Amino acid sequence: MASQKRIAKELSECMANPPAGMRVSLANDADVHKWHIVLEGPPNTPYVGGTFGLVIVLPPEYPFKAPVVTFATRIYHPNVTNDTPGKICLGLLKTENWKPSFKIQTVLQAVRGLLVEPQPDDPLEARIADEFRSDRKEFEKNARQYVTQYAKGPVKFDKKLTSTAGDAAATPGASSS
Amino acid sequence: MYQPETAAYIQQVSSGYGIAHSLPQYTFEETPLGLSSGGGGSGSGGGAVGGGSYGASGHSHGLGGPGTAGAGGGAGAPGAGLAGALIYTTPIFSTTRGTVGPASGLGAGPFHFHQQAQHHHNGHNQNVNHNHIHAQNHNTIATHHQSVSPHSAVKMESNTDDLAAQEAAARDYQPQPEGPLVGPKTPSTAITEEYAKGDPIYVQKTMALPQTYSHYRPIRGDGSCGWRAIGFGYFETLINRGDKALILAEKARLESLNDYIEKVGGMVLFIFQDMADETFALLQKISETLDDRKQALADLMDAFNEPQISDSIVYHLRLLASAWLKGNREPYADFITSDRGIDGYCESNILANHREMDHISLNLLVDVLLKPTGFVLEVVYLDRSAGPQVNTYRFPEEARNQHPSALGPMIHLLFRPDHYDILYPVDMDLQVHRVASFSHNFQIAPDPVALQDYAAPDLQVLSVIPGYSAPPPGLAPLVDATTGSPLTSYTSSPGSPWMSSPFADPTHQQHQHQAPPAPIPISAPAVVPLQAHPLRFSEYCQLREYTDNDTWREPTFQTTTFKNSHFNVAHYNNPNFQPEEYKPGADEFENLSPRSGGGRKRGSV
Repeated sequence: MASQKRIAKELSECMANPPAGMRVSLANDADVHKWHIVLEGPPNTPYVGGTFGLVIVLPPEYPFKAPVVTFATRIYHPNVTNDTPGKICLGLLKTENWKPSFKIQTVLQAVRGLLVEPQPDDPLEARIADEFRSDRKEFEKNARQYVTQYAKGPVKFDKKLTSTAGDAAATPGASSS
Repeated sequence: MYQPETAAYIQQVSSGYGIAHSLPQYTFEETPLGLSSGGGGSGSGGGAVGGGSYGASGHSHGLGGPGTAGAGGGAGAPGAGLAGALIYTTPIFSTTRGTVGPASGLGAGPFHFHQQAQHHHNGHNQNVNHNHIHAQNHNTIATHHQSVSPHSAVKMESNTDDLAAQEAAARDYQPQPEGPLVGPKTPSTAITEEYAKGDPIYVQKTMALPQTYSHYRPIRGDGSCGWRAIGFGYFETLINRGDKALILAEKARLESLNDYIEKVGGMVLFIFQDMADETFALLQKISETLDDRKQALADLMDAFNEPQISDSIVYHLRLLASAWLKGNREPYADFITSDRGIDGYCESNILANHREMDHISLNLLVDVLLKPTGFVLEVVYLDRSAGPQVNTYRFPEEARNQHPSALGPMIHLLFRPDHYDILYPVDMDLQVHRVASFSHNFQIAPDPVALQDYAAPDLQVLSVIPGYSAPPPGLAPLVDATTGSPLTSYTSSPGSPWMSSPFADPTHQQHQHQAPPAPIPISAPAVVPLQAHPLRFSEYCQLREYTDNDTWREPTFQTTTFKNSHFNVAHYNNPNFQPEEYKPGADEFENLSPRSGGGRKRGSV
């Protein structure tokens, strides 16, 4: 695979100098195409205090196809499906927006940005988006409750879960609204 | 891929508001036949709108309300039922092309364009045909509306869900680009045939195309076609130059530009290192196999058809162009309308994956990739602009007013709206002869040329004749024009097969005519046999006499009676009305009176 060199470089960059509040590792040392990221809930958001697992799968065509990013930890968020694995709606990753010049680090920062500032106008969970817009207090309460319920303690990257994420790689953008 | 959706769509159409989208045989719905048929259907259908069915010709314009075809019509609405059935059997509906299905729905106007926009890579002539058909079908619809408007208004409303579903399907539809990333070298007469039923302007221009460009190479229409075409042309030209030192110098030059991409383009090296390495590896490879040109070209084809390598090289070119723009803001700044300025333009127009190459990008790539090497890019624009021939432009601009012999190697592209393919001209040496012959044979040449022009596609066959592949320089045109003039033989024996006469000694070469043209190996881009063409065609194209009055394409009929009768397909009353259509093989009678065609002047198309 021609992009091995780049992926290796990106990985070492992300490991040595990770974006704020993140830890990057490989799901399996033999495969640079599957990354595990532990993301601390950003301060001043209802997600603070939680630790969230992110799985990034790089398709074989990477960087000509966007990586597939999913939440391994359940999260109450308008742009993340309320199930496992949580699919993310991130404009950057959509087929028409993805550029081979984007770095994974950029993607990670964008995911974190999504937690700081949800995008209710481009939701995956319309109900949560409505709630976010109309009743911010209730939304924050629910989000905090999810953090307490799911995002405490060490992140579990379910083996099965990871492979599901791998399947999702076959249809990137299929779930995006 | 799209077939299931098409099927679902047909379902909706037949239960809803559908137009059997056959070719526009009847554009005159106001005739008594049309009115009585349509009116009768709607009356007996009892609220369900009957389809006017023109059974005689086997075509129908069905205009059915919900349930019309099935239960709704009830008592004797055979017309409607028939219309419903015919919807399934009309050729266009049963086609596997997803394009046609959704685009034929009434009230779906907005996504005609959507569809066409997405589909233009699949085949341009299709779109042209759509335009054609649509224009006519709207007439049809309009007339039906006049007679049945109360019903149809209701129907439209009850059907909005269907329409919404159709619209959604059309919106989500992702065209699947077809064909290899870089296709094999193909005789450019294929383009002529592709457009033979299209818009008259395209017909005219594509007819003239093979006279200048014998071959073309299709590039997959995935949005990177312009980049890929120039990239491929660049490598191919390097191979054809056969200069190993040049290739290595180019490699060194591009390697040094990595720094430029990094410093000026603002790109981190490791992001594009892999991509640039693919370019360098391919340069290295072709420099090593250069002695065996066939092998080098095969390597090039393989590399450009391997998506990972091909996309890497294409993206490397995008990075080069982007960096070049950032390093040369001054000359381009005024042309960039993006509200995010030059940097934003780079992001959104150059570096976006599979974003079409626009004019600015093309200039940039020429400046950074081709110009320093002395390569010249010539783009042939095949569009609906006026004029009998395609327009060509050379890049860089300095090359525009110079004779080709004064310029470096040239890469030719064929541009059709939003798509680029590579073109290969007929042999350069002969273009020189052609110019020479132009002045000498001015009087003689037009006639044989006018005749032969009809046979442009078939003349491929002649390309295998050795005698034509290497005419003695300077002398050749004269010999051809005089001894080979078919004028006398045509006028004296109208029934004789035209193919044999253009040659001085037909008996001798007859066998070779019938031999099928040998498949042209890609390794021979300047295909020698086709040298026969420019001698005979091209000067004709430059004669105002012919380009202006357009006679060579006009269907020629011997009698005014026939010409004005509806048996003439060019007559608007003909059921198979085809305006100004060129039909290969149907024009033998044209040869009977070559001069009479010249005298008939009818305005341009």
